[in-house]
Amino acid sequence: MTSSPSETETAAVHPLQEYADRVAAAVGGDGTVTFDTVKVRVPLERWVDALTTARDELGLVFFSWLSAVDWSSEVEVGDPFPEPVDDHFELLATVADVSEGRRVIFSTDLDKETPSAPTLIDVYAGANWHEREAYEMFGIDFDGHPNLIHLYLPDQFQGNPLRKSYPLLSREVKPWPGTVDVEGLPGSDEGTGDEGAEGDGAERDGPSEENPEA
Amino acid sequence: MVLDQDLVRHLSESSVSVELETEDMTLNIGPQHPSTHGVLRLKARVDGERAFDVQPVIGYMHRGYEKLSEVRTYPQITTLVNRIDWVSGYANEIPFIVAAEKLLGVEVPERAQYIRLILTEMARISSHLIFMASYPLELGAATPLFFALRERERVLDLLEGVTGGRFHPNFNRIGGVKPAYGSGSATRKVIQDLPAGFLAETRDAMDKVVEAVDELNQLVADNEIIVARTKGVGVLPVEVAAAYGVSGPNLRASGVGFDLRKVEDYLPYHLFDFEIPTGENGDCWDRWHVRLLEIGQSVRIVQQAIDGIPSGPLQAKVPKVIKVPQGEAYVRAENPKGEMGYYLVSNGNQGPYRLKIRSASFSNISILPWILEGVLVPDIIAIMGSLDFVLGDVDR
Repeated sequence: MTSSPSETETAAVHPLQEYADRVAAAVGGDGTVTFDTVKVRVPLERWVDALTTARDELGLVFFSWLSAVDWSSEVEVGDPFPEPVDDHFELLATVADVSEGRRVIFSTDLDKETPSAPTLIDVYAGANWHEREAYEMFGIDFDGHPNLIHLYLPDQFQGNPLRKSYPLLSREVKPWPGTVDVEGLPGSDEGTGDEGAEGDGAERDGPSEENPEA
Repeated sequence: MVLDQDLVRHLSESSVSVELETEDMTLNIGPQHPSTHGVLRLKARVDGERAFDVQPVIGYMHRGYEKLSEVRTYPQITTLVNRIDWVSGYANEIPFIVAAEKLLGVEVPERAQYIRLILTEMARISSHLIFMASYPLELGAATPLFFALRERERVLDLLEGVTGGRFHPNFNRIGGVKPAYGSGSATRKVIQDLPAGFLAETRDAMDKVVEAVDELNQLVADNEIIVARTKGVGVLPVEVAAAYGVSGPNLRASGVGFDLRKVEDYLPYHLFDFEIPTGENGDCWDRWHVRLLEIGQSVRIVQQAIDGIPSGPLQAKVPKVIKVPQGEAYVRAENPKGEMGYYLVSNGNQGPYRLKIRSASFSNISILPWILEGVLVPDIIAIMGSLDFVLGDVDR
């Protein structure tokens, strides 16, 4: 399983690498290809310029998506990377053409304290909703966005759920994988099994979790 | 810029209204409305018969799949992604599972790839048939619904026969597919393959679908009211569609012959002959017509795949506990609704570190404020319906 034929370090240069280099040269960034995915890293100052160039000169007129990755050594959900990572947000914008099937992920790094980037709405109108989603999910500010309000979440929602520091409440209440079965049988009073002290608070917060038949 | 033209159009309309001294009204559509295909709410300012400043309010069905994926293993996530666009649940699994296979470097056996392809195209047929049923209904024509749903049921029965599920097949495994048929026996060694007669029955069903497409074409194309309500309504130029990320049949209806099945290699589509239907005007009519023609092309693909399906194993050899090596990949696929993609960041564990889900309907309805600006109120329904979205695919 470890020796994949197409993706070993010693393999020949990926056929898309030349294209990645061409895009990187045009926008002033650094192009890599991993698993057929072209990614071009640009500095934050060149974020809007790079995507404008992509649209006007490289024919990447199709706005596919924009989102972020929370690179974090300490995580509240899931597993962290085995090695510590450089803590930052990575902002990603994927654009494509509608003829040959070229697609490029543009990427830039944002600091954790005050994550902020200029809006892409003037370049790709479709960035509007994607930036609102990144704003509510990661807490990234988009300078110049005309309507930076919650998209999915209720207005009064606190926190940024896709940050790695944001715990997943259902997993806090009921850890997974748990013991064989943490739920009591329907109708029995035995309740929470052997989850210990945390179970008490959980029972009050979410009775429906504990006994769905009640 | 496009927006400036909008402003001009908007201003000229409102100056008319000032002369007539009409009063603007705020109109709320949804979240519970049949034409919203789920729970979408629109807020519009209505000036006489025309709607302005239409603001979609989404999120009523947000389930947080991207967060949930971070605490689940890869096999568990296929059950989640089934539920994104539930009208074509099977097709949602493909790009996700292919992304994981890419990082693992697994070669999927040929027969499994053919089965994936056949079922994906059947999912496309059933999704488009739902559109063929619901869209005329929204315009007031109930009859096509019965013709379309009859055929869809045929296709779903076959899907259920293979996967065990009509809507949520959960059929793909890393390295292949897992038929429900004949599996689950620990004591007896059974051959796991497609159910007996599946290929022959599918071939028959495809013939019937072709007949139904003809019937649907007559029912709708010969219906003067539907033609009058859709031709020239909701015109979407290619440049605007691309800038908003509108993909799939909605983009092709605007005249671009761009189909990810032709340019990406997530399934072996290059082995088959099929055309990419396109529209001319990018109006509601073209969006309906492109989907009708796409059913025929999907039938062609299925027929060729049935003819050419090789024998062999359905599953590559993979470890029982799958840990996906570190890496990042974006895999996108041509789903019935448009481009569906997964950006997968793996940290070498049993589940992803981050999974960004790019769903087609989300971008497809982000066009609504643009395309509904200044249209007649009854056309809101005609235009929304023609975009063929599913709220599960919008809200994720």
